[in-house]
Amino acid sequence: MSPGALSRRDLWRMALRTTLLQATWNYERQQGLGWAWALAPALARIYADREQRRARLVEHTAYFNTQPTLASLALGAVAALEEQRASGAAVDAEAVARVKSALGASLAALGDRLFWFALRPAAACVGVLMVLGGHRLGALAMWACYNLLHLGLRVAGVGWGYREGPAVLGSALRPRLEALVRGLGSLGAVLVGLIVAVALVPGGDVRPLPYQATLAAGLVLGVITAQRARPSPTEWALGAGALCLVAAWMR
Amino acid sequence: MSPRLLAVFLLGGIAALDATPVAQTMLSQPLVTSTLLGLVWGNLGLALEVGVVLQILAASTLPVGARTPEDYAVGGVVGAGVALALGSQQSFEVAHHASAMLGVLAGMASATLGVPLLKWMRRRNEGLSRWCEDALRRGDEHALTAAQGAGVALAFAIGVATTAVWVGLAVRGLSGLAAHESLRLGRAWGLAQPLWIGLGLAQLLHAFVQRRLTRVALFGLALLAGWLVLMVGAS
Repeated sequence: MSPGALSRRDLWRMALRTTLLQATWNYERQQGLGWAWALAPALARIYADREQRRARLVEHTAYFNTQPTLASLALGAVAALEEQRASGAAVDAEAVARVKSALGASLAALGDRLFWFALRPAAACVGVLMVLGGHRLGALAMWACYNLLHLGLRVAGVGWGYREGPAVLGSALRPRLEALVRGLGSLGAVLVGLIVAVALVPGGDVRPLPYQATLAAGLVLGVITAQRARPSPTEWALGAGALCLVAAWMR
Repeated sequence: MSPRLLAVFLLGGIAALDATPVAQTMLSQPLVTSTLLGLVWGNLGLALEVGVVLQILAASTLPVGARTPEDYAVGGVVGAGVALALGSQQSFEVAHHASAMLGVLAGMASATLGVPLLKWMRRRNEGLSRWCEDALRRGDEHALTAAQGAGVALAFAIGVATTAVWVGLAVRGLSGLAAHESLRLGRAWGLAQPLWIGLGLAQLLHAFVQRRLTRVALFGLALLAGWLVLMVGAS
């Protein structure tokens, strides 16, 4: 098998299969099974021998976990590595496992910050801001903001990973994604400020004082409770809701 | 069964799929599911009131590391579904607020109590994973596709069933309360809505700021500028 043997169609099939990376997520192997399933088109192309292909598939069902969108990069990189292995290069199962582990950890560290801490909340803020501002299809804007990057990286990531190989994060990609995390953090802070302004003065009509005071109380409570992981924001919100019910019944 | 209720249950299943097993495209976020249900039920205003509160809380809930976050995929559908079902039985404005209050509470409760169910499903997937590996070793390459399909089917079925149980129980149990105590529930909504929005926004701000003073300054400037623009624009 010569390097560069995977066709555009193979890479596209792998990218599509990453959508089911977490279909059987479990505590033992985490994304292991989904990973093997997504890699299967590449293994089918690289290993013509059925026994060899099956052995590789079993190897790839081992533990694997990373941020699901950026997993595309690791998938492409590992496909390139498997290609070298099949062509007789000095790559064994341990080397593949080491690359998977290293890429998985690095991509999780970057991807968690990019998608869970920055892009998802920022996209949600766009949607909420639009709805509070009177645009009824804010959900569509939120969905589009998120998926432009999420689906774009998921589809293109396999190809990038395949071209760059295990050094995919050593290229110009990491600084760009890091810059994006910083930019989204600043954008998010601006969006929260705008949401508070729109909540206080919707359409130019100032809310009554009790509403402003309660919103301020919520902000203060949120700042205090954000310092600790437990109880979760939802548990605090449930407690606050129960207090509001009691207050309404006593009034 | 009403087709509108059926839409709620099916959307619960679709949201449960999007949350973790399939694609993770944010289709499962409360603002999206509330908008879809609001369009189906013909009451977008009520759906969005519930959706905004649940969305802000969902966005401040982060699926990081080993922590299993609250299940806002099903919670968002349950919240909007309960509010819309209760709201469709009442015609007064105050009952609309009462429905929103009960909807958000039902959404948050189902999101919180859904965590053990998510953990149970992930443990079931361990068995599926072991079965698949054994089958692969025996030479059955199709076992991977079968296991992936079973994982998707299980998540969808649990999403539909959980949504149906929560919406069924909440609408049955709370319709009397929404009808007879709508004034008090409406007052509670007047207090709780800004409190919840403030609480969730502060959590989001904390996640964005990451101890950087420039971002705090950006927040303050945006708040001031937004407030001025809205006030000047109105006058």
